[in-house]
Formats: sequence, structure tokens, C-alpha cells
Amino acid sequence: MVLGWNIFPFVAALAALLSAVAAVCAALREERGRRLAIASAIGGIAILAAFVAMLWLTLERPPLRTMGETRLWYSLFLLLAGLVTYLRWRYRWIMGFSTLLATVFMIVNIAKPELHDHTLMPALQSVWFVPHVSIYMFSYALLGCATLLSLYGLWRPSAELDEAIGRVMSSGIAFFTIGMLSGALWAKEAWGTYWNLDPKEAWAAATWGLYLLALHLAPHRRRLYYAIVITAFLALQMCWWGVNYLPNAARSEHTYTMQK
Amino acid sequence: MVISIIAITSFAVQHLVGDIPVELFSFPLNILIIALWLAALVWLYRARHTSRVTQSLLSMRATILALLLMIALGILFGLQHSPKTSAWPTATALLFILSHLSLITLRGLRDGRGKLRIRFILNHLGLILALGAGFWGAADREELRVVVERDMPTNIAYTKTGNRTILDYEIAMTDFAIEYFDTGTPSSFEASVVVDNKPTTLRVNHPYNRTWTETIYLISYDTEQPAKARYCIVEVVREPWRWLTVAGILMLIMGAILMFIQGKKRG
Repeated sequence: MVLGWNIFPFVAALAALLSAVAAVCAALREERGRRLAIASAIGGIAILAAFVAMLWLTLERPPLRTMGETRLWYSLFLLLAGLVTYLRWRYRWIMGFSTLLATVFMIVNIAKPELHDHTLMPALQSVWFVPHVSIYMFSYALLGCATLLSLYGLWRPSAELDEAIGRVMSSGIAFFTIGMLSGALWAKEAWGTYWNLDPKEAWAAATWGLYLLALHLAPHRRRLYYAIVITAFLALQMCWWGVNYLPNAARSEHTYTMQK
Repeated sequence: MVISIIAITSFAVQHLVGDIPVELFSFPLNILIIALWLAALVWLYRARHTSRVTQSLLSMRATILALLLMIALGILFGLQHSPKTSAWPTATALLFILSHLSLITLRGLRDGRGKLRIRFILNHLGLILALGAGFWGAADREELRVVVERDMPTNIAYTKTGNRTILDYEIAMTDFAIEYFDTGTPSSFEASVVVDNKPTTLRVNHPYNRTWTETIYLISYDTEQPAKARYCIVEVVREPWRWLTVAGILMLIMGAILMFIQGKKRG
């Protein structure tokens, strides 16, 4: 057990509470609510970010190796992506969605921390490691927001919503692309090939293709458009953790360190 | 209709003759085929106002088909135990994707006012280069394994298929160092080697670039006695098309950055 991990439930509760306050304030249309929402959201993000920084220091390696560690970053980036979406496009509901999803992931982490010792295998000791994984986690968070908006759209479709989905999703795709290509450049340094057809890489290609399909289809047929965005996010789950459970995972160079 | 005939033919060819003999398509044949392919694309593009084939190749339906093929290939490879890229249907799908992308790129170079569409070009031409260099350059790529013994210069290498070949320079290992975490797993290992009379060290993530197109990787070591390793195994990768791939990847990254900055808009 890592020093400091025992405070995570408190950190998570505080971050979730501040984000929830932010989400409620943002949902109200008043200007005063907006300022409080931003302050509260920044507070929640700062607390979680400080915890990640502390973990990094105590582990003496980037906390990006285990599944649980990536979930931690995902929660952090979800809150950040929610705030950015709110600030840039003033979409009032987004922080509610992002808080909900981030809280789910933090609860999973309380139940199943999956934190390990400070060992980091030589293949991961690279300048590419932190940008590759953290850019991906940020893109997953943005694409998670786009999915939540699409799910909402299946219920209440609107042109305003399509606009928000398009913007959040295209930012998500941009980061996903950079994550994937930084991986290709890293793979060349580590293994000698840009693309190995590793199961994770193959699922990343399928996910990328699905998002490009959504990007190229103008949302004339709204429900189909929402369905593709949601399907793409399901493929993303295969890419992120689903591949660990596939029979062909044994040949993957990408499986996360997992712990029961 | 045409598409299904092509698809069925590719499966039939696969069934009858087996995998593509990739090595057959090495330099200079691949360059010749690319020249013919590009000429055909330009010819098709010029006929875009009259040819129905060109019009359907440039249609949104073709874009959707190309993306669906890419998704299908991703899922297929993502489920398989030992995926292979040298099957005829796979190559046909990739050739269709590349052809469609090329025609689309030709059409979309400039906007209505004659201005170059930088972001569009970065994203689409970048993908053509990154995919195309891997596709057309596959036959020119060489991976050679060399067992490098301590203080014993060697030039004997083995191809993937186990054929013996001779390098035009020698490699020798002069030293090997390994360190461990408290848990007993290796934290780092590196081989000091002399490649073509130049001393260097090889580590995971730190290969040695002997030339612009040839790189040497440390892939294994004497696991029986790592502390006093008698040998290490290196891989020599020759990839003449390497920098085209890099150019494509960098263009795509720049395109992605522009997409983030400018948001969702066409052009």
C-alpha cells in the first residue's frame, strides 16, 4: 500500500462535492452562479491534481502504469474537460455529466485501487510515456463528455446539442490522434515499427475510424449520428481496458498491470 | 456492384494463390506500380466531370465505405491472434482507402476562392503518406537478428524467415550492465557495443541510428547469467521509407493541433 493512499476517499469526496456544487451553479442561469461554479470547479480539480502530484512523488515514477492509475487521471481530466467545455461553449449541463462520470471512476478507485510499488519496466522508461498516456486520458475525457451529450440527445435532440457534441468531439479526436501518433513515434524508438498490429493498436484504429465517421457525417440524421458517437465510445472502452480481457491479449505489449 | 465484384475477386485470389508474395513488390517494382497508380488517379481525376466511376469514387458514400473498411480491419485485427497484413482482401481495402483519399485530396486542395486548405491537406495528405509509406514500402523493410557475443565481432545476421545473411560491417559487445528494483525485476539494462568500429550503447527505447534508414535495437540478452552476460541479441531494422512515414505522422499531428485550435469547421 502506498503512503498517502488512505486519504484518497476524503480527497475524492471533497473533489466530487466541489464539482457537484459547480455543476448545480452552472445549471442555474445567473451570472453570480457562473462565477461560483468556476471557482468551485477549479477547487475540485486542484485537489485531485494535488493528490496525483503527491502520488507521483511518493511512487517515484509517473502514476500512469496501472489501470487504477489511469482511472485517476481520467477522473481528473474529465473534470477539467467539463470545465473547459463550460467556459468555452457555455454548455450549462456538461459539468453535471462530467462530475457524475468522474465520481463513478473515483468510487471504482476506492473499491479497487490497483496501486503498485514504484517499479517501472525499462520499456516504459521513455520521454514518450507521460505525454502518450496523459494526452490519451484527456481525449478519453473529452470523448466521454461527447458521449454523455449524445445519450442526452437520444432523449432530447436539438441543433444546439449537435453543435456542442461536434465541438467537444472534434477536440477529443484531435487529442486522440496526437495520442495515437505519439505512440507510433514511441513504438519506432522502442520496437522498430510504427505500427505492430497489437490488439490495442488495432482497436485504437477502429475507434479512430468510428470517430472520423461521425466527424464526416453532418448530423442530418441526428439519431444515427448520436448512435455512432456512442458506438465509438464503446470501441474506445475496448481499446482502453477491454483488450485486457480478450483471448489475444497475451500477445499484446499494451496490457496494464492489474491487481485483484 | 463494381465494389462487390472487386471484393469477391480479392477473396477468390486469396483462396487460390494464398498470401501476397510481398518481397516481389520490393524496389524498383513498387516505384513503378506507384507511378502507374498515380497516373491512373490523375487520369480519373481529370475525367471527374464526365466519368461516373470518378464521381462515385469522390462521393460521400465512398468516404463512408473507406472509413467502414478501416473500422472493419481494426476490429478484425483487434480480435485475431496473429493478424497478417499480406492478404489480398486487406491490400485491396487499403488500396481503395488510399485511392479514395488521394482523389479527395486532389479535389480539396483549394477552397472556393482558390486558397490552399492547409488543415485539410495536413490531415488528408498526412494520412496518405503515413499509410502509403507503410503499404508501398512494406517489401523494402528488412528486420535482421544478430547474436552479438562478448568481444567477438560478427557480421552474421538472420532474416525473419531464418535465412542467413551477411552484414557489410561488424558488431561486437564489449560490456553489459544490468540493475534491479528491490522486487528483483530489472530496472535497466544496457549493452556496450562496437558497430562498424564506432562504440555506442544500446538500451530499450534508445536504439542506435547507424544510417538515416538503418537502426539497431537491443532486444534480448543472456538471461542465464545477466550479470556476466556472454551475449546480447540485437535487431537491425532497415526501412528506406521511414522518413515518409515520419512526415505523414508529423503532418497529421499538426492537422490535429489545428483542429483543436480552430474547432469543428470544414476547411
